[in-house]
Amino acid sequence: MNFDVIRAYMSKEFKELLRSRLILIVYILPTMIIILFGYGIRMEVTNARTLIIDNDNSKISRDLAERFHHSKYFDTVTVNAMSESEALNRIKQAKTDILVIIPASFEKRLLHRQKSEIGVFIDGAFPVRASTMENYVKGVIYNMAKSLHIQPKSLITINNRNLFNQAMRDEDAIVPGLIGLILLVAPAILSALLIVKEKEEGTIFNFFSSPIKKSEFIIAKLLPPLILHSVNIFILFLWATWLFEVPFRGSFLLYWIAAQIYILISLGVGLLVSIIASTQIVAIVLTIIITIIPGFLYSGMLMPISSMSGESKIEAHIYPVMYFNHIVYDTFLIGQGLDSPKNQLYLTILLFYALFLIFLGAWLMKKEIS
Amino acid sequence: MRVFLALVTKELIGFLRSWGLVAVVLYSFTLDIYITGKGIEMQAKNIAIGYVDETGGGMSKKILSRLHAPEFQKPVPFMSTKELSKSIYDREIMVGLIFESDFEKNLEKRDRASVDILLDSIAATQSFQALQYLQNILFDYSKTDFPVELKIHKLFNQNANTSEFMAMAEMLSVITLLGVVLTAVVFVREKENGTWDIMLLMPIDPRLIILAKSFSQVLVIMGGVTIATGIVLFGVFDITINGSIAAFFLLSFFYAFTSAGIGLFVAAVSKNMLQVAQLSILIMMPLIFLSGAWTPIHAMHPLLQDLSLLSPLRYYIEGSESIFFRGTGFFDLWNYFAGVIILGSVLYFYGFRKIGRLF
Repeated sequence: MNFDVIRAYMSKEFKELLRSRLILIVYILPTMIIILFGYGIRMEVTNARTLIIDNDNSKISRDLAERFHHSKYFDTVTVNAMSESEALNRIKQAKTDILVIIPASFEKRLLHRQKSEIGVFIDGAFPVRASTMENYVKGVIYNMAKSLHIQPKSLITINNRNLFNQAMRDEDAIVPGLIGLILLVAPAILSALLIVKEKEEGTIFNFFSSPIKKSEFIIAKLLPPLILHSVNIFILFLWATWLFEVPFRGSFLLYWIAAQIYILISLGVGLLVSIIASTQIVAIVLTIIITIIPGFLYSGMLMPISSMSGESKIEAHIYPVMYFNHIVYDTFLIGQGLDSPKNQLYLTILLFYALFLIFLGAWLMKKEIS
Repeated sequence: MRVFLALVTKELIGFLRSWGLVAVVLYSFTLDIYITGKGIEMQAKNIAIGYVDETGGGMSKKILSRLHAPEFQKPVPFMSTKELSKSIYDREIMVGLIFESDFEKNLEKRDRASVDILLDSIAATQSFQALQYLQNILFDYSKTDFPVELKIHKLFNQNANTSEFMAMAEMLSVITLLGVVLTAVVFVREKENGTWDIMLLMPIDPRLIILAKSFSQVLVIMGGVTIATGIVLFGVFDITINGSIAAFFLLSFFYAFTSAGIGLFVAAVSKNMLQVAQLSILIMMPLIFLSGAWTPIHAMHPLLQDLSLLSPLRYYIEGSESIFFRGTGFFDLWNYFAGVIILGSVLYFYGFRKIGRLF
């Protein structure tokens, strides 16, 4: 292996990256993704537009409306008279999310311990949001019942401890997963582009005809993305902890090592793509299709791996995303670090995964016209 | 008109010949939407649950027997709290129930007892729902009747089925993305081959060429929309549409022109395919972000709320949701149509001017 050749090739790559301004994409894209998605994906509901029709207008009903009003989850408008169909029409026109109807003589019936009925209508067009809103509404009404001492005495109370994400923040749930997504997608695209560009422009024949070895060529092509994207490990870490205020409880060393190995895996994916694709646009589209969907599905961001069953559980174990994300969530939120046998196992799997992909790519790549 | 048709036909044939592009479009409008709809489940289902039971059985067994599919997996017994919490730390179990040894005794003697719950709350929404499920189950073991009955109706999607919603949202994103990329590609391919300048110098009105070229891609998109709604949305996911399908297609048609307008702009500023890909990503992401696809617009920062008025996707998504789920009448949809058409005209006109300039 001739290091001078590798160095010369690499300096050519760096110059081209700078001149084609591709370097901007290397650093803008990951930051943009983490900021947009980090702020963009919100499962929790705040400021739900709530319309309360208070047909009773008594002390208790006003108190109930007031409770909705004081909660950050609702933006309330209270009216005393409006027909149900008119109110429902407002939901149809997407002007209201929740409709609460307090029946007439609500207070009287309540004091006489007769059954009364509160009607709640929720816009279900976005299902998860609807379920969350339903739970908030229930919460407000049960709380009110508790303070009026009409809540049924419950036999069994729940004494729950929320581990890892005490406040149930969306940022804590999503941002570490995004790091796993970005470090899978971005290096793969870059490494695929560096090789496919030569194919498309025809300069790959220099590689075919010059005495440079295949291993030297691959190293020279993969090292620049590895070096450039290694910086992103730290940039993304800073965005997560500083901008999104995600706690970091585990070992930084583990995070760093795992992320480096993960970038190697991503480079391996890029190498494999570059063998199939012959134009840059195809390389980009192919990489995105291969990486983004599993990057989301098996990230544990939206759905914990433990809740999966059947095929999806098997698929989750085939892709590398699950292993890396387990470690990332551990370092950010759980904090078991390298002592945990599961983390050690997953780190080893990642390492072998990376070696496998890169050697497979190297083996499949041909130094001749196909 | 004859020239126009000839140009449209030329572009359509050109599209069908590049099998790679056809494959990508077909994939995006079918399999991609299917995978997203099937794969992304945001409601908590099939939760892995474990328990430690230090009581002799009885009440705790009764409660455990109520944890079943589809919400929960079969509860896994653990010998001690330590083992249970280790499993939670390794993220094999999401919810842990601990019945302490005096649980049964407290229940008999004092009529109240408490269950300790350890909850892995990383996936915040799902954890919150899991907690709600448990609360509802335990709520049933209460003494008196609760005098207020809550009649909760989730309108339009009573079962809160996510896959329908995700499939539709994915289709809208695919339309946006492909609308921009395909249009940009037809022009940039000519640029790369050096035939674009020749096209502009031909004795045909260049405006006609641009219109025909972008119209051909709008047709491709509409074909894709027909396949996606017909096969995936109605066929596989069996979505019921509450509004009028014609209104949806009309809105999609206008929207396809809007994204073609963005595509024209992208084509005007980029020299090759690579730049098209980069620019499209850079432009699309904020557009999608501001559209309210993920965050409801009224929950955004006020400044972003104002900015979101500029995202044509916002009107398209809200309009399509209203047509599919809310079943809004045609005339109540006017603001969505107005939003898409006005923004679309501006974008299209701007892109039109920019790409039509020779130098």
